[in-house]
Amino acid sequence: MDDLPLAKRLVDAVISDFPDHQPGTRPVHTIGIGVEGCFTASDVARNYCVAEHFGGEPVKVSVRFSNGSGSPKQHDGWSDVRGMATRFHLKDGAATDLIAMTLGEFFSRNVDDFFAFTAAARQTPVGRESPWRKILDMLQLVLPFPDPYPGQTQSGDAGTLGYANQHRFAQLGVFQAGSIGAPVSYVRATYHAVHTFVVTDPDGIRRNVRFSWQPVAGVRTYQRTDPLQPDQYLQQELRERLAQWPARFMLMMTIGEDGDAIDDPTLPWPAKRVRVVMGTLTLTKVADDQAAAAEHISFNPCRLTPGIEASGDPILHARRDAYEESRIRRGGIACPFSGGPSNAK
Amino acid sequence: MPSSPTSNLTDDRSWFDRFVDRLPQTGIMKFVAARILVPYWAWRYPVQKQPGGPPFSIQPGDNVQRMMNLVMPLKDKSAVGRAIAALAIAQNVDEIYAGLDNVGTVHFARFVIVDNNICMMSVYDGDFTNYIRDFIATIGSVFDAVVSLVEGGDDVIPSEHNIEKFIDWVHAHDMYQVPDLATGILRDQEALKGDTAQTGNDDLRLLPRDLILQLNVNTNVSLGSGYRAYPGYSAAQVRRQFGIGW
Repeated sequence: MDDLPLAKRLVDAVISDFPDHQPGTRPVHTIGIGVEGCFTASDVARNYCVAEHFGGEPVKVSVRFSNGSGSPKQHDGWSDVRGMATRFHLKDGAATDLIAMTLGEFFSRNVDDFFAFTAAARQTPVGRESPWRKILDMLQLVLPFPDPYPGQTQSGDAGTLGYANQHRFAQLGVFQAGSIGAPVSYVRATYHAVHTFVVTDPDGIRRNVRFSWQPVAGVRTYQRTDPLQPDQYLQQELRERLAQWPARFMLMMTIGEDGDAIDDPTLPWPAKRVRVVMGTLTLTKVADDQAAAAEHISFNPCRLTPGIEASGDPILHARRDAYEESRIRRGGIACPFSGGPSNAK
Repeated sequence: MPSSPTSNLTDDRSWFDRFVDRLPQTGIMKFVAARILVPYWAWRYPVQKQPGGPPFSIQPGDNVQRMMNLVMPLKDKSAVGRAIAALAIAQNVDEIYAGLDNVGTVHFARFVIVDNNICMMSVYDGDFTNYIRDFIATIGSVFDAVVSLVEGGDDVIPSEHNIEKFIDWVHAHDMYQVPDLATGILRDQEALKGDTAQTGNDDLRLLPRDLILQLNVNTNVSLGSGYRAYPGYSAAQVRRQFGIGW
């Protein structure tokens, strides 16, 4: 197993957490919907980053919203991390991607952590706690295990909880993921790109930054205490919403300070950091060709453009080749890394 | 009580399941939790009181626009006592304004009376201890007048003769700032115990109890570091930018 390239092992590790995963589909964030729109940079964006899409001219974008699970079964109403992958279409056929999720931090500091986490996250049978057990939890002021959803027989929650209990860096991510709920709409959630990137301004000054998308419509989420939503509502809600009016997000860029965790995606930055509004994303329609816009399209967090560089975050770098490996397995549209990634073990 | 997610259940629950799922929302369970369970667990697992004020940080952005939220219980818990406290402020407005201008690092400051507490809420730049030292030097006499109306205040006035004691007293009345991140309170509790390990034998399901027990000893807290529309600038920077100087 260890003889396989790192990217293959990473993808295999992710898939192992979803026993019903279907070959030819994405290992996680399997179910998604493609949307079209444009991004317009703010007046100040160009002062911080020389990247083309921050220059001020509107840029066409392709966005894929997704549920986090690698299962082919769609359970929109289940508590789950959601994804928002954005491609900015630049001049001369170039492009840059920004991949974000509703979780504000990651579970793993590096690749070794990631393998350990995915091993712990294997699905195990779940059932409802006995009422006596729940009473005991109450008496101990302990958070009870959530009841499984109707039809849910397996979950990775017990494993991830056990992992987090042993590894403090994973606790925030596991706790937040456990209570993340389901958005009322894909466009009513905040999405975080989690990793640190380095942007360069017109004077050549380089800054460590993190990006997030904030919904202009505001954040609203169904929690487990709300009535369970149907398995399929998010895509229909998006179609109906965009048929009436556009949906917008603000791209916020947080500037890190010396001492902030640059290469560790398990550590969010303090809320006090300077945040710059970099522009507005306007989503106008659900793509007509969903096979192209939601399935064949291949995003990569390291598909960057001059003015934006990857930080030294080992998870970010590992994702580059893992995403390419995933693309190859499902026959997605080739990205610039095809043929040349350093799949070091 | 942490509440159990219940509404996603199918109808195959027994009456006992449904009863237990509803239990955290019932008055009897809330009573039992407040009067029996919390005192019991607080006795079983004593939690140290967290210090007030923002956490220590050397980073510039963390050292501007810091919050101080003093909650000071009045000795005289009557309308008369509250009126005396209000007059102590009103009669010294000039001294307060001149003093705060002279401190130079204060963005906002105000006194409020909540129930029978006189509270001073301020936003300042830089080190807490230096802030209080400057405070004593510039408006110590006003603060002495206020502190004399507060429980335990007589021990630390006049402040200019009890500087270190006064700083500790203010710090003790400053609200604990609950971390922005959900699991931050665990890290704060570990820090008080000198536990800085990356790994542990924790139980994340105890987070609600940890929070409850912390709020049992820190009854007045600030929830998170607060929203800022324009973070990261000192009072001096803001005044300079607007061309209104000191």
